[in-house]
Amino acid sequence: MADEGQAVSSTNLLILGVIGGLILVYLSTVNATIGPLFACLGGVCAILWGSDAIRRVASYGLGTGVPSIGYMSLGAGCVAALAGLAVGAQFNLVIAGPVLALLFGCIIGLIIAVVAKKIVGMKIPVLERCTTELAGAAALSVVAFSAAIAGSIDFTPILNNVVATGFIALLFILNTMAIQHPYNACLGPNEDQVRTLKCAASTAFLSMIIVGICTIPLGHSAWLLVVVVGLIGWIIAFRSFVQASYEAAASVKWSGLWPKTED
Amino acid sequence: MDLIMMLLIIIAGVCMGAGVHFIPVGGAPAAMSTATGVGTGTAMLAAGAGMTGLITAASLEGAGLGLILLAGAIGSMMMMGITMLFGNFIYVFGVGVVPSSGKVEKDPITGLPQAAYKTPGTEGHGVPTVSFVSGIIGSALGGIGGGMAFYAVQEMAKNSTLFAGNMPVIIGVAAICSIGLFFVNSVVASYNIGGTIEGFHDPKFKRIGNGALASIIASLVIAIFIALIVGGI
Repeated sequence: MADEGQAVSSTNLLILGVIGGLILVYLSTVNATIGPLFACLGGVCAILWGSDAIRRVASYGLGTGVPSIGYMSLGAGCVAALAGLAVGAQFNLVIAGPVLALLFGCIIGLIIAVVAKKIVGMKIPVLERCTTELAGAAALSVVAFSAAIAGSIDFTPILNNVVATGFIALLFILNTMAIQHPYNACLGPNEDQVRTLKCAASTAFLSMIIVGICTIPLGHSAWLLVVVVGLIGWIIAFRSFVQASYEAAASVKWSGLWPKTED
Repeated sequence: MDLIMMLLIIIAGVCMGAGVHFIPVGGAPAAMSTATGVGTGTAMLAAGAGMTGLITAASLEGAGLGLILLAGAIGSMMMMGITMLFGNFIYVFGVGVVPSSGKVEKDPITGLPQAAYKTPGTEGHGVPTVSFVSGIIGSALGGIGGGMAFYAVQEMAKNSTLFAGNMPVIIGVAAICSIGLFFVNSVVASYNIGGTIEGFHDPKFKRIGNGALASIIASLVIAIFIALIVGGI
């Protein structure tokens, strides 16, 4: 039901998340100053993709609230992200880490969705596809922000700069909020995909600002670049989100509420 | 050794999933005092109880399994008990309703009648004694699960060459993997109960078998990926 009449097709957002996210994460290794910025933008792509996936699955009504599936996907995503990077490191294939993380996230998501459908008896037709995408997006966003904080996609620097320092717990909650908040905030009878995505962009850039601050211990000027770009992105996204909300509110004020379709 | 630890992770996952079935999750209706339980969703309640358990368990890092489990259970039980107690203060003195169950005629523990105190049009309100006791049992299970998962991942990571005995990294990995396991199991369990439940006296509690089976499979998958992180098998 949510797939019809979408302004932005879910396939385009999937491509943005997977291809855009992965390319930007890999670009993070080119230069120590500009690298974290690319990695953060990769995280933003993944969050946009994830919040669209959550929008599609939660529009059916999960019965447990929108945040629950967000927390679950990040729970799976964090484990998948670390597993992907670890397997890459063990086989001396650091370059494969982010792809493996994304793949592992999708696998965990798919299995959980199948369990939820076959054993628990959830009746949401898009559950498998959306949970798979969601856990993949969660894993990719964790990898991207970790790469920004550690300044590398190698497992050991990420362990020392992200896991040992406890930033991983921050990323867990930060990415959960960025992915689940947009639809949770915008849902309702006049929910509109473009407005939700604008909200998603604003939460993603807001997360990017915080990740930028976490990059300070790295000891070079990369953090300033991330914070400034994040701030500009947040102002643009949040401004357009507020404007879209005003426009939607004006349409109600001028033409009244929608006629009741029930009864 | 790793296989035993993986088995512990699966048992921990089942404890977490089963624990959610005991916790009186009221959701949005309870927030408006129109259903029994604490007025928030499973993710919040389970996360609060689970993470407190995890922190108290992690504070005993280096101790034996029994002590870690006990610490986890006590931390979780305290968090859940305080939440339910103060929730009840607000329901009784703020909203002005009597804690009563909507699912049973008589409280199975105190034997007090419930229906007479239930506001018409609601499914009960507040946290009655039976739900409180149930919540304490559930949070104990959740805390035991959290502590067990933390212990198991930590033991696996300690023997791993990848971490080279770096304790801050090992604790970080153990904590984030346990949190991940916790959220996956608590959300799958909350799907199983359909969002809200009053406690072990609720008819929905009978679905716990399905929930446990779902938790076993989900935990097995997470355990395999945790083994990949620590480079086991």
